[in-house]
Amino acid sequence: MPPLAGWTLWITGFVGKVPALDHVMSLLVSDFFIPVLIGLIMLGLWAGHSDPTRREHLQRTVMNASVAIGISTLVVHIINFADHFWLRPFLVDDSAIRESAIHAAQTVFYLPHDPSFPSNAATIAFAAATGVWLGNHKAGVVLYSLAFIWAFARFYAGIHFFVDLAAGATIGVLTGLFISKVFMPRTEPIPTLALRLARFLYIA
Amino acid sequence: MALDYFLLVFMASFGVYQIASIPAKLEGLWLFRFSKVQYIFGVLAIVGAFGWFFTDEERNVQHTVEGTEQLGLFLAAIVSAYVVTAILSSIIQARFGFPKDTPIKGKQHEQGVETLKSTTVFGGIVSSLRNKREDKG
Repeated sequence: MPPLAGWTLWITGFVGKVPALDHVMSLLVSDFFIPVLIGLIMLGLWAGHSDPTRREHLQRTVMNASVAIGISTLVVHIINFADHFWLRPFLVDDSAIRESAIHAAQTVFYLPHDPSFPSNAATIAFAAATGVWLGNHKAGVVLYSLAFIWAFARFYAGIHFFVDLAAGATIGVLTGLFISKVFMPRTEPIPTLALRLARFLYIA
Repeated sequence: MALDYFLLVFMASFGVYQIASIPAKLEGLWLFRFSKVQYIFGVLAIVGAFGWFFTDEERNVQHTVEGTEQLGLFLAAIVSAYVVTAILSSIIQARFGFPKDTPIKGKQHEQGVETLKSTTVFGGIVSSLRNKREDKG
């Protein structure tokens, strides 16, 4: 059992008490709703500026965030390959936590089979938000808000311990910083060539 | 589920292109002459896509659209939506004659979507080909 496992018992205790809240959470916790919103915001940033210099800056920002998503997912896979650390909340030995998490997950989500630690959802959402925030603070704040909401919804649904989400967010933020500040500047001229190819194809 | 996910992203990104092309002044991607109509169409496409996807059936079930497949479908859908937007806007603007359709000067790999401020994608391709022929001639 991870540290702060008792928090899962507390948060999942709210599930089933307010059906309207559960309904909203079942949308927010979805594997599709927030990830697609994040992707669409990044797509809008890619295309939505009239000044060519500013547009190129935003396109490089979106490229950084996209690479950060890919690399952070790879980091999660490597951690999962090394060790599974602990089970999902609905599979642990502690019957109080297990029963409460099963009820929460079945009410607002489903019972996923992949490893609990670290949260893949929190990792990619925070990696994207950090990558975007470094290039555009307003859009970054929106993406950080979506990342927090998605992570909270997963905690509420009883499919992750708090530590899983905190670790995922930390990996995402650190990967986003590393990719944007260290990795991408050192891979020049590859990003510039990619942008030239995209321009040639009328997509940048 | 995979097809439904593709259609969700396809329809929503189609709407995003319509909305994003307004502040970017990329008139070559416009499907409508008036930006307000364009904006409303874009919002309806996004809201409609999400509304359909999340009310059509229960989406919080164990599914196979995960990780790499989800990313692949997302990329395929946004590229497909862009291609369809480019084709439709080129046909509509040629048919109804509301583009400026200014010949493009300079190399396409330097201009990029900036070209679409004055012509459609097809117009830009034709201009690029003409420029190449003139350079050779």
